[in-house]
Amino acid sequence: MGLFDRLTGLLGLKKKEVNVLVIGLNNSGKSTVINHFKREDDRCIDIVPTVGFNVEKFAFKNVGFTAFDMSGHDRYRSLWEHYYKDCQGIIFIIDSSDKLRLVVAKEELDMLLQHPDVAGRKIPILFLANKMDLPDSLTTVKLASGLGLDRIQNKPWHIRATNAVTGEGLQPAIEWLTDQIRDIYINKR
Amino acid sequence: MNAFKRDKKEEEDGGGNPFQNMEKTTVLQEARTFNDTPVNPRKCAHILTKILYLINQGEQLGTTEATEAFFAMTKLFQSRDVVLRRLVYLGIKELSSVAEDVIIVTSSLTKDMTGKEDLYRAAAIRALCTITDGGMLAAIERYMKQAIVDKSPAVSSAALVSSLHLTSVSGDVARRWANEAQEALNSDNVMVQYHALGVLYQARKSDKHAVTKLVSKLTRTSLKSPYAACMLIRMACKLLDEDEGAGELYEFVESCLRHKSEMVVYEAAHALVNLGRSGSRELASPISVLQLFCGSPKPALRFAAVRTLNKMAMSHPAAVTACNLDLENLITDSNRSIATLAITTLLKTGAESSVDRLMKQIATFVSEISDEFKVVVVQAIRALCQKFPRKHAVLMNFLSAMLRDEGGLEYKAAIADTIIAVMEGNTEAKEAGLAHLCEFIEDCEHTSLAVRILHLLGQEGPTSKQPSRYIRFIYNRVILESASVRAAAVTALAHFAASCPPLLPNVLVLLSRCQLDSDDEVRDRAAYYCAILQQQNDPTLLPLIQPPLLSIPSLEGALRNYIRSSMDQPFDISQVPPAQTVEEPTQTEILSNIKQQPRLTREESFMEKLSQIPQLATVTRDCPLFKSSAVCELTESETEYNVKCVKHSFANHLILQFDCLNTLTDQLLEDVRVTVEPPEGYTLIGEIPCPRLAYNEPGTTYIVLEYPKDIQASVATIPTTLRFTARDCDPATGIPDAEQGYDDEYMLEDLEVTLADQMRGSAGRGLDFSAAWDAAAARGFSELEETFALGASVTTLEAAVRSLIGFLGLGAAELSDRVPSGTVGHTLLLGGVFRGGKQVLARARLALADEQVTMQLSVRSPDPDVAELITSSVG
Ligand SMILES: Nc1nc2c(ncn2[C@@H]2O[C@H](COP(=O)(O)OP(=O)(O)O)[C@@H](O)[C@H]2O)c(=O)[nH]1
Ligand SMILES: [Mg+2]
Repeated sequence: MGLFDRLTGLLGLKKKEVNVLVIGLNNSGKSTVINHFKREDDRCIDIVPTVGFNVEKFAFKNVGFTAFDMSGHDRYRSLWEHYYKDCQGIIFIIDSSDKLRLVVAKEELDMLLQHPDVAGRKIPILFLANKMDLPDSLTTVKLASGLGLDRIQNKPWHIRATNAVTGEGLQPAIEWLTDQIRDIYINKR
Repeated sequence: MNAFKRDKKEEEDGGGNPFQNMEKTTVLQEARTFNDTPVNPRKCAHILTKILYLINQGEQLGTTEATEAFFAMTKLFQSRDVVLRRLVYLGIKELSSVAEDVIIVTSSLTKDMTGKEDLYRAAAIRALCTITDGGMLAAIERYMKQAIVDKSPAVSSAALVSSLHLTSVSGDVARRWANEAQEALNSDNVMVQYHALGVLYQARKSDKHAVTKLVSKLTRTSLKSPYAACMLIRMACKLLDEDEGAGELYEFVESCLRHKSEMVVYEAAHALVNLGRSGSRELASPISVLQLFCGSPKPALRFAAVRTLNKMAMSHPAAVTACNLDLENLITDSNRSIATLAITTLLKTGAESSVDRLMKQIATFVSEISDEFKVVVVQAIRALCQKFPRKHAVLMNFLSAMLRDEGGLEYKAAIADTIIAVMEGNTEAKEAGLAHLCEFIEDCEHTSLAVRILHLLGQEGPTSKQPSRYIRFIYNRVILESASVRAAAVTALAHFAASCPPLLPNVLVLLSRCQLDSDDEVRDRAAYYCAILQQQNDPTLLPLIQPPLLSIPSLEGALRNYIRSSMDQPFDISQVPPAQTVEEPTQTEILSNIKQQPRLTREESFMEKLSQIPQLATVTRDCPLFKSSAVCELTESETEYNVKCVKHSFANHLILQFDCLNTLTDQLLEDVRVTVEPPEGYTLIGEIPCPRLAYNEPGTTYIVLEYPKDIQASVATIPTTLRFTARDCDPATGIPDAEQGYDDEYMLEDLEVTLADQMRGSAGRGLDFSAAWDAAAARGFSELEETFALGASVTTLEAAVRSLIGFLGLGAAELSDRVPSGTVGHTLLLGGVFRGGKQVLARARLALADEQVTMQLSVRSPDPDVAELITSSVG
């Protein structure tokens, strides 16, 4: 990886930097997901509930991601909006086994979509139906309809079942997001 | 010359400061750059520095502004620039008290404090603690405990110090983390050990027994860190001052005089000389240490030693004399602060003969030292004038030269105060002092000081040898100065006219000119004084020119009552207590510039409290509080309950205020009262119980009595008892058991109502005693005269004067409370008011023979009963 970095640098293919916001209810697996994206020697061993937020960095396909891993605890959810303005992508994580709080997740999503800093922008949203390994977790189809994703008109979105502990499903998901970001922000410039 | 001036001005404006003339709104606007991706560390660091600069200049940020800047700043966490990150920590600390939702950075900071980047860890801990509130404490506890025992000293120290700061968030933090602190105490690092000791002390602070144990354990080990050793010395001395653990601790502190670190040695010496119990024998070894330090090549040690000696010079002059030779060597020290302290110490302890030489030495560099040290010099001179009255001429000249120098208000005021004090203590110095002050106000840039001096000239000038010479100086002010100075000058002129009839015609001419002044206040004063002075020669007019200084809140209250009354009697101003005269402390602590706040008198502040109690309104509504006694203890110290009493006298009533304290952890007292048996003639009007008295929470109960109609019966002894319902309770929580309480009582000491409780001394410098004494005869006051032989405990005239003033509660006039030394006869002139506004004048002729003082006491008062009461209570 180190060698690759240097090569792209030499070839003038400078890494593009983007900010993504990682949100979702507490305990949905946000920090675990981001931890998985990081280089193996950078990863934390034990993940504790986030208080406030954390900034993490990782790279994928020559795009440098700066991820704002927000706390999903209800005390902090109102603070997400401070970080809407300057992000180029959103990862919205749902605990697909937490049927009880699906309505809460929907409510937060609605608030996000209506927010002035988000509503009018063509900003890709990646939904991760996390904890797919757990028994009676909801399918992506059920989640999509539960969250009312088909309403989203002006933004590219994508939903994917994942297991953040094993990493299953994460690779194609981040690939989708990277392509979207590349299309919207990088190639256009 | 012009160019030079400009340069100087620029320098004052902060010439080379790149941050000057910054505007808050512009800077906050720039802070939006923080939101940009990618972050530009250099640019952001510069903007953040500006914000920090503004905050440190005292700029206030509103909540919204601060919150916006704070959240923008949180985005900088994405940058890996070390400098920027550390600035972010500072920003968090500064904004944490203003911005909202600052806990948003908790995880980011805990990540940094546990991360790999050592440069982040300590600073992140400090920032984290400023954003942590009681609710968040649990979330960071684990990290803090780990950090305290971290192997990096910086991290461990930061965590320990932060735990101390966190005690303001949650009181028991130190106790909860004491195990970790105990481990940190074994650290090899000097700072960590010191900070760990701080936390351990904090954890035990409220438990004296535990502190004693900690200290005595540590005094037996030897702490590696000199800082920790210094702290241990302080802890030991605090215990010693509280009479705890005596001998062993004292030996420990003394042994520290032989410590290998100079810092510890100094700390021990300083502690020993300041220990209340130290006598001359105990002082010898610490003094010899300080003496040694006086000769040290290190300026800091010399300074510390000489500063300590300077402070001691007042309390232990003899002990300090041992170092005179060493101090002499320091008077030419190139460090002027050391030299000043050395000279002023010598002045305080030295002989009269060395005064001239030392003053000459000081004069060579007084212009080079800062105002703060000049004030030290002035204070030393003041002490000298008291000690060597004959030297006043040299010292006065020196002071007047200092007065002509440049200097700030505080310094100038200290000089003027000293001149005034010297004049008061020494009539010979008065003429010279007034002349110096006159000269000074010719060119005085401080309005407040000019006003004070003009007031003083008005007070003292008329009785000087040649009053007319001051008129010109004063009138010059009327022509040249600002309105407030002009007004003061007008009042001073009026004082001269009122007390020196020969000057009256001329002053009237001047005052009539002042009636054309452009300022309302000046004109009003001039018109008022002209009107009064034109009525000539009526001695009763004098108080109208020099009104007594009355307590303004009491005067206001009395006038309001008067307006509510039918107003057919003239208003009686003698009911109104005088204003607090701010007594200058005679031994001002050197280098401590504590400002005297304008304060309320005891009576004013008590009245404020009493008038808030509805049950007392019958007394407090109609009548001002006449006098509040000193506090009397009705219990021995260290008893279960502690009761103190203050006696508040009104014209016809006596309110007894009992302040009670319950020192039993396992008892809750309810319905607490102090019951009294009213002595003959007294009537019990009411009592106000204290509903509950929990452990260590003070409570107050009151008794209202009416004074007897017969004034003679008012001096009495009142037996008192504390009564209450006691309930047992859990010592830890203070929650009482379910059981019913039981009634109990507790005998208290008897309470004495004395003459002084009902008398207010008023005389002071304003009163011309012989005029008043004669006027009293003319107005038909009754007079009583008796001769007494004072008891065997009074063997000197000074003691007789002191006990007489204390006993009668009267005030001395014309400085007659100062007994010239070596005399065998003295006349004490006293004045005051008895409750109900009855004037009292007394003259005591004292004679000393064979250690026996005899006294002929004459009392004049409009009320014969009052005069009788006074003579009868002396006998
Ligand atoms: N079984 C399972 N557990 C997961 C998965 N993702 C996360 N978790 C667990 O869910 C808990 C919460 O994860 P965390 O990343 O802290 O959630 P956050 O609050 O959204 O940041 C942790 O105990 C994770 O180990 C998953 O895909 N499957
Ligand atoms: Mg998390």
